[in-house]
Amino acid sequence: MTAPRWSFGRLLMWIVLLAAAVASVFPFYWMLNGTTLNPNDVLRGILEPGRDFLNNWKLATSTYNLPLFFMNSLVIALGTVIFGVVVNSMAAFGFEKYRSRARDRVFGILLLTLILPQIAVVIPMFKLFSALKLLNTRLAIALPSIMSVFIIFFLRQNFKLFPTEIMEAARVDGASELAIFVRIVSPSMRATFASAAIYLFIAQWNAYLWPLITILNDSIKTLPIAMASVMQAYTIQYGALMVIVCVSTLPVLVLFLAMQKQFVAGLLGSVK
Amino acid sequence: MPLRGAYEKYLNRFGWFCVAPSMVLFSVFMAYPILSSLYYVTRRWKGATNTFIGLGNFVRMARDSIFQDALVHNFTFMIIQVPIMIFLALVLAVLLNQGIRNLRGALRLAIFLPSVTSLVVVSVLFRVLLQTNGFLNNLMLSGHLISAPIGWLNNGFWAKVTIILALTWRWTGYNMVFFLVGLQSLDPQIFEAAEVDGASKVRQFFTITVPLLVPIILFSAVTSTSGTMQLIEEPNVLTFQGGPSNQTMTAALYIYRQAFFVNFDFGYATSMSYIVVIISGVLAFIQLRVLGGERAAK
Repeated sequence: MTAPRWSFGRLLMWIVLLAAAVASVFPFYWMLNGTTLNPNDVLRGILEPGRDFLNNWKLATSTYNLPLFFMNSLVIALGTVIFGVVVNSMAAFGFEKYRSRARDRVFGILLLTLILPQIAVVIPMFKLFSALKLLNTRLAIALPSIMSVFIIFFLRQNFKLFPTEIMEAARVDGASELAIFVRIVSPSMRATFASAAIYLFIAQWNAYLWPLITILNDSIKTLPIAMASVMQAYTIQYGALMVIVCVSTLPVLVLFLAMQKQFVAGLLGSVK
Repeated sequence: MPLRGAYEKYLNRFGWFCVAPSMVLFSVFMAYPILSSLYYVTRRWKGATNTFIGLGNFVRMARDSIFQDALVHNFTFMIIQVPIMIFLALVLAVLLNQGIRNLRGALRLAIFLPSVTSLVVVSVLFRVLLQTNGFLNNLMLSGHLISAPIGWLNNGFWAKVTIILALTWRWTGYNMVFFLVGLQSLDPQIFEAAEVDGASKVRQFFTITVPLLVPIILFSAVTSTSGTMQLIEEPNVLTFQGGPSNQTMTAALYIYRQAFFVNFDFGYATSMSYIVVIISGVLAFIQLRVLGGERAAK
């Protein structure tokens, strides 16, 4: 079959694809360009670069406290990632490589909560943290998102692929179970751990509902919460807002561009 | 290798050691909240005190038109946005699967890009882009597509359209990636055979591609449905607190506002969240049954 090189169908196909690509990318250009414009031009959507970048940057860092919010977001997300990878990978390893009927049942219960809407959990959790006097702390924002059923599930799927014979061989050589996990299994799972880390980082970096509930004052605000409160102000410095928007998108964008494979693997974990 | 006695016990203990930290976190931050919510649904808060009211919260819900409207809005978004997005994502995936290799990678990257933004960022972007004197209106005015600016955020109908637009922008590329992976696992010979039989591309799309991708479409449908049942960033930031006048209020946002903004009635809010849980569960079940067909029934 030799299809004509150019037909109406092929032309239509490229038009649709290009239109989708432009529509997808345009808001990124627009928000980057917006960092150089005065508020009025941001609103009108001027597409040529302006001269207000320094001014906007100053406003964002001084009036809108951007460095503080950025650090809050970063510390909380990194903390979640470090503890999250350790705790969830241990759990996945235990569930997969030391199977027992009791643990399989526990895993089944975990999976049941996978589709539970977050709104159903946050109210009792708020009362819990308020009783523990932990509200309005960075710890309170991070703690509930360390354990992730989705990540345990994802890691477990990948531990399945690790040959048990290698573990047996190590046992014969006298390695302890912990040494097997830390020195033999984990090094070969680096790419998988990277996917899990990216997923946990992004989920925490972008988290909205629970931080919104726990954060009671400016000092521990994360970027999404800060942005949302900027939007509620009577007068909005749109140029400075675009700086904050760019700063909160950039880390995820860089993560994605640098580690596309692991990024998408984290997304697809659930379909495997 | 059969495990016996002390050694088996040791392995079993190590298994529990591995899952213990996550079990502690799960118990405190998932199991305990779920169980304690059973207490909250029977109570009514007034200031710092609360009293037992049995099923009173559910009676109140039956008369709460804002909550019922909010649920209707969730359904509206779901019924309109999810099919549009899945169809778009499918079409784009199929087209990308045909394109020229190098260009395909670049286009896929571009279309996936919105998935890196947080929902708050999406809401902020669209709120600014869709101001009455904002970019989109100016663009359409100068292209003579409209004769007067559209009040995207001031009109109940257009505010809903705005949310649907934002959701579609944010999630189409994300779902497309799933479909692309699915397409690449299909045998190209099926399409070659169809081609030989003279089936048009459109026909191939509906009679081969879509049926073969049903499991992945199902996955997308279930996750997107549960996503729209939980919408909160968009109505709170993009259309501002469910505005105009509660026209884009969603269940999750209303629950949040009842608990932490308006009445601080944790009992009533928790009870409403039960309804959201039940609806989400039922919808997931129906989708698995209907779309999954025999596969799920087995």
